[in-house]
Amino acid sequence: MMNTELILQTAEQIVSSWDWLTKTNRPEPHRLDVRLTKLSDLVPMIVGLRVKRLGYLGTITGLDHGPENGELEVLYHFFAGQAVITLRVSLPYENPVLPSLCDIIPAAEPYERELSEMFGITLNGLRNPEHLYLPEDWPAGVYPLRQDFDPAVLEIHNKKELPA
Amino acid sequence: MNTIVDILKILIFPGGMFILLAGMMYEWADRKLLAMLQNRIGPRWFQQLADVLKLLAKEEVLPSGVNARLFIGLPIVALAAALTAALYVPIMGIAPAFSFSGDLIVSIYLLSLMTLCLGLAGSNTLDRFSLLGATRTLTQLFSYEAPFMLALLGPAFLAGSWQINEITAYTDGRWLLLTQPLGFIVALIGLMGKLELPPFDAPEAKTEIVAGALTEYSGRGLAIFKLGKGVELVAGLTLVAAFYLGGVGNPLLFLLKTLGLLVIIAGIQALLTRLRIDQTVGLWWRYGTLLVLVQWMGTILWLRFVA
Amino acid sequence: MTTATPLKERFTVPIGPQHPALKEPGHFDFEVEGEVVKSASVRLGYAHRGIEKAVESRNWVQNLYLLERICGICSHIHATAYCLGVEALAGVEVPPRAQAIRTLVAELERIHSHLLWLGVSAHEAGFESLFMYSWRDRETIMDLLEGLTGNRVNYSVNVLGGIKYDLDAEQSEAILQGLQFLEARTHHYLEVVTTDALFLQRTRGIATLTRQQAELMGVLGPTARASNVKRDVRVESPYAGYQQFPLQMVVAEGGDLAARFVVRLNELFESYRLIREILANLPEGELTTRMPRRIIAGETISRVEAPRGELIYFIKSNGSDMPARVKVRTPTIMNMTSVVKLAVGHQLADIPMIVSGIDPCFSCNDRMAVINNQAWDWEQLRQYGIEYYQRQNAE
Repeated sequence: MMNTELILQTAEQIVSSWDWLTKTNRPEPHRLDVRLTKLSDLVPMIVGLRVKRLGYLGTITGLDHGPENGELEVLYHFFAGQAVITLRVSLPYENPVLPSLCDIIPAAEPYERELSEMFGITLNGLRNPEHLYLPEDWPAGVYPLRQDFDPAVLEIHNKKELPA
Repeated sequence: MNTIVDILKILIFPGGMFILLAGMMYEWADRKLLAMLQNRIGPRWFQQLADVLKLLAKEEVLPSGVNARLFIGLPIVALAAALTAALYVPIMGIAPAFSFSGDLIVSIYLLSLMTLCLGLAGSNTLDRFSLLGATRTLTQLFSYEAPFMLALLGPAFLAGSWQINEITAYTDGRWLLLTQPLGFIVALIGLMGKLELPPFDAPEAKTEIVAGALTEYSGRGLAIFKLGKGVELVAGLTLVAAFYLGGVGNPLLFLLKTLGLLVIIAGIQALLTRLRIDQTVGLWWRYGTLLVLVQWMGTILWLRFVA
Repeated sequence: MTTATPLKERFTVPIGPQHPALKEPGHFDFEVEGEVVKSASVRLGYAHRGIEKAVESRNWVQNLYLLERICGICSHIHATAYCLGVEALAGVEVPPRAQAIRTLVAELERIHSHLLWLGVSAHEAGFESLFMYSWRDRETIMDLLEGLTGNRVNYSVNVLGGIKYDLDAEQSEAILQGLQFLEARTHHYLEVVTTDALFLQRTRGIATLTRQQAELMGVLGPTARASNVKRDVRVESPYAGYQQFPLQMVVAEGGDLAARFVVRLNELFESYRLIREILANLPEGELTTRMPRRIIAGETISRVEAPRGELIYFIKSNGSDMPARVKVRTPTIMNMTSVVKLAVGHQLADIPMIVSGIDPCFSCNDRMAVINNQAWDWEQLRQYGIEYYQRQNAE
């Protein structure tokens, strides 16, 4: 097994040779953060990591930096031993679209479904875009993990079923 | 006068009420033994009665999409069949209420009728669990029935009669268990298959198909089916004990013999994992039938050359 | 002659959200042809409580208690993951004694969880005796945990920066005695599940997951290790007390249900060994350190090995007294997707065992919808029920 340092260096090489504009940093000794400049780099970079067998997809985290910044961020965490490689992608607040990883990493499906229902991110190529966690009758266009989510929406939604 | 005695026999003793109560007590004994083997406390002695009374007092839900007459009629037919079968069997070592030549065949048939009713009851509903349960019940019926019947006919063959009375007279004092061990094993395990006890409880495996054929039953129908199961347990145990364990003898001794069988059954239940339905069928046709045929062959050879 | 089966000969068997096979709410649809499953799908979310959202409106300390309640069985490990993450963010060094006791409780919890799983799986297989006995023995560990922390579940051992409960000589003696009993029992259970012919009929060659498949589907924890995937955070990336008390990874080759039994039971032995080692070499010292109320801005990832597999916490702080985002990735979600694939081609009778083989934990899984907590009084609820059924009948 490769040691943590070597893994992180290899990963850094891969991402920076793909696109030398890509910014990387090390928030913790065992972690590598890669900030992607272009969304189109995402899939090739992940393929590159996969080819080198650098870790497995741990999870995909969605972040909402608030409507004032108008930015969503999606974090792809890859784990190899102690090493954590995170690919960060920025998305616009309006109509965010991501390519689905299901074809490369089948295990990504539940994370992507979660992402789409919680943050309203459209994932191109998702095999089963139905709700994973939220109820079938969840109001359309309401994404609970966004900052601007207002539970009152649900109250109005549920009122319809409330007996008079 | 005779008619009144007959009716009393059918309704109170040794048929009817008596058999129902005996069935409940045997079922309780089975549950209690199993609980003890599994390090549990188990139910109290009147639990079965309490269950039945409670169920009888409950509403019977008629699911949509069923044939109502069948739905209500099937449990009654099942219980009636089991009770009728029990009339020809020396329950608790007491001479059977009625007897005629060939009543063994009739009893075995009537005991199977109960299973058949269960299968029909399951297929009658639209529920998927019931349908699967019914399929499994009937599949199981066709697998254990032949070996079980052959195993019970073994002693009849020796006694030269198909009348339960005459067979028990023949086996009195003769422990066929010793001379026909294979037949005994098949008969006892066949009884467990008939009663859908673990490990042959695939037809009502609750972790897969809820309650199998009886999933849609509630209230009275369920209570009656449960009573029928109890009667079947008593009748089956009695037949096996009377045929293989030295006849009827005195009632107390006979009771002990049937309880001994119950201990074995409870032990098997506690020891084994539930078989899948394909495994059950395989077991019966591959081993059960073969064993009983070997037993028959032995008996025939013995009769031909030794006796 | 083989022709395609007409569609009507297939039908769907729904299992859950209320079904005797699953004591927890999940919904599976199995399309069966006779007894054989032809396709399967899963629907989650019946136990959503909106925890990930709720976390954003509570302070760091409150969240500890909220997150511990994600799961009833692996509660301690959730709290540990959260604490480790927050402590790393704050740059706080936790005393070694606290870390050791955290690890000790985590291993006790693993024993409790694995014994519970053993019972549930045996129950699904229709092996009631094993179920009864393993749950009886599980009481030993529950009593130990109760003696240690005062609670049978949700032990609340962790606080930010350390732990709450110390361990005295009497308690460690009790633990050692309990372990002795459990070790003997575990040997017995291992013998049962590896030699009982009828039980093996139900487990051997069922739901086999090859190593490649396991890696592709991303299964985790004992399920993965049963397929010889060497993935265990305790070994790969030791946290808390596992640095001081290293652990051997337990793997098996088979990949089938039988291997999952073997892996989990063998893991118990490893847990017993580790607990004894911790008790023998428990570091002296403080139990807690001071934690700041506000955590400096930053992000961290905390990975721990829950009884069911790798548990991941992503924690982001923006410098206030509340976290900006806590993302929880529980192992069950990954294992659950494997169930749907594994079920196809198996008999319906094997399904409960296949589902329970991954040791699913639905409340871990479904941690995070927002449930509207509008209160209905009894009359309204009753009225709603009546109207609902009237509507149903009208249709």
